[in-house]
Amino acid sequence: MAALDLLGGGFLAAFQFWYFMTIVTGLLVGVVAGALPGISFVNAMAMALPFTYVMEPTQSMLFLGGIYVGGVFGGSISAILINVPGTPASLPATWDGYPMTKRGEAKRALTIAVTASAVGGLVSALVLTFLSAPFASFALKFSQPEFFAATLLGLVSVIAIAKDQPVITMVSLLLGIAVGTVGVDPLYGQARFSFGVPEMESGVRFVVVMIGLFAIGEVVDLLATDRDLRPKKTGGKAIGAGFRDILNVKGAIARGTGIGCLIGMIPGAGATPGAVIAYGIEKQVSKRGKEFGTGVEEGLAAPESAKNATTGAAMVPLLTLGIPGSAATAIMLAAMMLHGVSPGPLLFIMDPSMVYTIFAAMIIANVLMIFAGIGVAQLFSTLMRTPPAILAAFIIVLSVVGAFGVRNNIFDVYVCLAFGVLGWGMKRVGFPSAPLVLGVILGPLAERYFLTSMANAKQDWTVFFTRPISATILGLALLFILWSLVPSLRGALRRRH
Amino acid sequence: MASIQNKKRHQTPRTGGRLPPGLGLLLPTLLPFGLLVMAVILPGFMFESDQTASTIGLGPAAWPEAILRAMAVFCVLWIARDVWVLGAAGRQPTLSFPVEDDHYHFGKAIVGLLLIIAYGWSLPLFGFAVTTTIFIGIWCLFGGLRNLMVVVPVAVIGTIALLWLFMGLALMPLPRGQGIFDNFSIWLLRATGIY
Repeated sequence: MAALDLLGGGFLAAFQFWYFMTIVTGLLVGVVAGALPGISFVNAMAMALPFTYVMEPTQSMLFLGGIYVGGVFGGSISAILINVPGTPASLPATWDGYPMTKRGEAKRALTIAVTASAVGGLVSALVLTFLSAPFASFALKFSQPEFFAATLLGLVSVIAIAKDQPVITMVSLLLGIAVGTVGVDPLYGQARFSFGVPEMESGVRFVVVMIGLFAIGEVVDLLATDRDLRPKKTGGKAIGAGFRDILNVKGAIARGTGIGCLIGMIPGAGATPGAVIAYGIEKQVSKRGKEFGTGVEEGLAAPESAKNATTGAAMVPLLTLGIPGSAATAIMLAAMMLHGVSPGPLLFIMDPSMVYTIFAAMIIANVLMIFAGIGVAQLFSTLMRTPPAILAAFIIVLSVVGAFGVRNNIFDVYVCLAFGVLGWGMKRVGFPSAPLVLGVILGPLAERYFLTSMANAKQDWTVFFTRPISATILGLALLFILWSLVPSLRGALRRRH
Repeated sequence: MASIQNKKRHQTPRTGGRLPPGLGLLLPTLLPFGLLVMAVILPGFMFESDQTASTIGLGPAAWPEAILRAMAVFCVLWIARDVWVLGAAGRQPTLSFPVEDDHYHFGKAIVGLLLIIAYGWSLPLFGFAVTTTIFIGIWCLFGGLRNLMVVVPVAVIGTIALLWLFMGLALMPLPRGQGIFDNFSIWLLRATGIY
C-alpha cells in the first residue's frame, strides 16, 4: 500500500510540465539514436551525459531513462527496415523483422515490434516498481561464480540461433570471445595480442565490431545488388498489424517479457542476451519454430518484448544495490554519482520520492514509446525513399563517426573498417556473424567473472558447482544446449534410418 | 532458420554473381583451415617479446589459450565434416556462397570496400569536413546518381549538418586534418558558427 502511495506521488511529479517534457525529449532522442545505424542508444546516453550537468538529479535520470527506453526499441527500426541493427539487442529483429519488410510488411512488423516492446517495457517497469525490495535481498547472494554462470548461459544461447550448424556457430562464437581477449586482461593487468600497437592494449570495443560487421557489410551489399530499399507495396495498401495480429503473438510476448525481466535483473546480462535467449526459446516453443528466420511474427515479438523488458529490470540492481546491469545503466549510475546521489538500499529510505518518480517515468516512457516509435518509424520510412546511394553514403559516415565516438580515437575507425571487410566476407560465404558479436560482448565479462571466481576459490573449479545458484544456472545452460540440439540429433538419426 | 537458408543456398549450382564457380567452392572450404592455423599459432604471439606472463594463479594466458584451443577443436570438426561430405556425391560443404535474389556485382562491392577504407584512412589527413564531402560525392556518383545538382548539395549540406550535429552539439573532436586542411577545417567551423 505504501508502494502504491509512493507511486502515486511519483506520477504526480513525473507529470509536471518540465519533467514530462524531459521524458518525451529523452524518449525521442533515444528512438532516433537507436534507429540510426552506428549511433547506439548507449552512445546517445554517453553523449547526453554532459547535458545532464545542468539538470537536477531526478530530471537527469528521467532524461537518461527516456533515452534508454526509446533507444532499446529504436534499434529495431533500422533492423526491421534495412537489416542493420541499431543496437546489439536488436539483432534478432533482423532475423524475422527484415524478411517481413522484404515481403512488403514493414508497417506490420513495426507495429508488432513496438507493441511487443511497449508491453515488455511496461511489465518490466511494474516489476521494477514492486519487486525492487525483494530482489535486493536475493541478488545480495550473487557473487562472481553466479555472474559467470549467468554470462555463460547467455553465451550458450547462441547455439539455439543456428542449431543446424552448431559447429560453425561455436567457431564464430569462440572467434568473438578470442577478439574480446585483445588488450589488458581484467585480473593481471597484462596486455595480450597487442602486436606492439599501443591502441590495441585498451582492447577492441564491441560497439566498433558491431558497427563494422553489420553496417558496412550491409551497405556494400546495398551497392553491389540493385536492391530497392523503398517499403514494398502489396495490393496498393500498406499492411499494418491489427488487434488480432497482436493477440496471435500474445504468448510470444508473454514469454519474451518473462525472460527479459528475469535476464534483465541479472547484473552483467542486459538486453542482448535477453533478446537472443527469448528468440532461442521461442524458436523451440513455437509451432512455426522451423520457419523462424523467414518472417515469423512470434520470432519478432518475443525478442522485442524481451529486450525492452530488460530496461526496467536492469534498473533493479542499479537502484537497489548500485550495481549497473548493463552499459546503459552504468551511464545512469555515472549520472547519479555526478549529482552526489548514491544508489542502494538507503536511497529508498533517504529519497523515496526520487526513486518512485523514476519508476513512474519508466511506466510513462513505455506508454509514450508506442507513439514515438511509430512516429520515428514513419520518418524512417520516408528516409528509405531516398536513393540508396545517398542513404548508404550517410550510413557509412554515421558508422565511422559512431566508431570514432566510442573513444574519440581514429584507431577504432580502422578496427571498424577491418571488421567491415571481415563482415562482408563472412556474409558472402554464409559464416554467421551474430555469435561472433555476442562473443565480443559477453566474452570479456565471462573471463572477468571466471578468473575472479577461480582466484577467490583458490583455483578450485568446483566452486561453480557447489554454490546452489551458480549450479542451477549452469544446469539451465546445459539443459538449454541439450534442448537446442535435440531437433538436429533427431534429424540425423532419421537420416541414418 | 539456418536449414531454410541452407536449402536456399543449395538449390542451384550458381555461386553468387560473377565469381568463378571453382573459387566459390574453394574459398568457403579453405576458411576452417585458415581459422585452425590462426587458433594454433596465435598463442605464440599473445605477449610482447619483452613480456613474460604472470604465473600467479591461472595467469593472463589461460582464458585466451582455452578459447583458442576450443576453436581449434571445432575447426577440426568442421574440416572433418567438409572432407566427409565432399567425398560423397550430391553433398555440399558447410558454407557456400549464397544464391542472390538480385544480381550481385562483386567488382562493385570490392571497389565500394576500397572507397570506404580510403575514406577512413584519409580522415586524419584531410579532416572530417573535406573527406566526408568528397566521399559522399564520389559514393553517390559511384552508386548511380549522375545529377550533380543533387550530388553536390547532398554532399556539402549533409557534411555541414553532420559537423553541426557532432562537433557543434555533441562536442565530438572529429579529425580536422593536417596542415592546410586543419586551417581550412578551423575556418569552416568558425564560418558555420560551430567554433
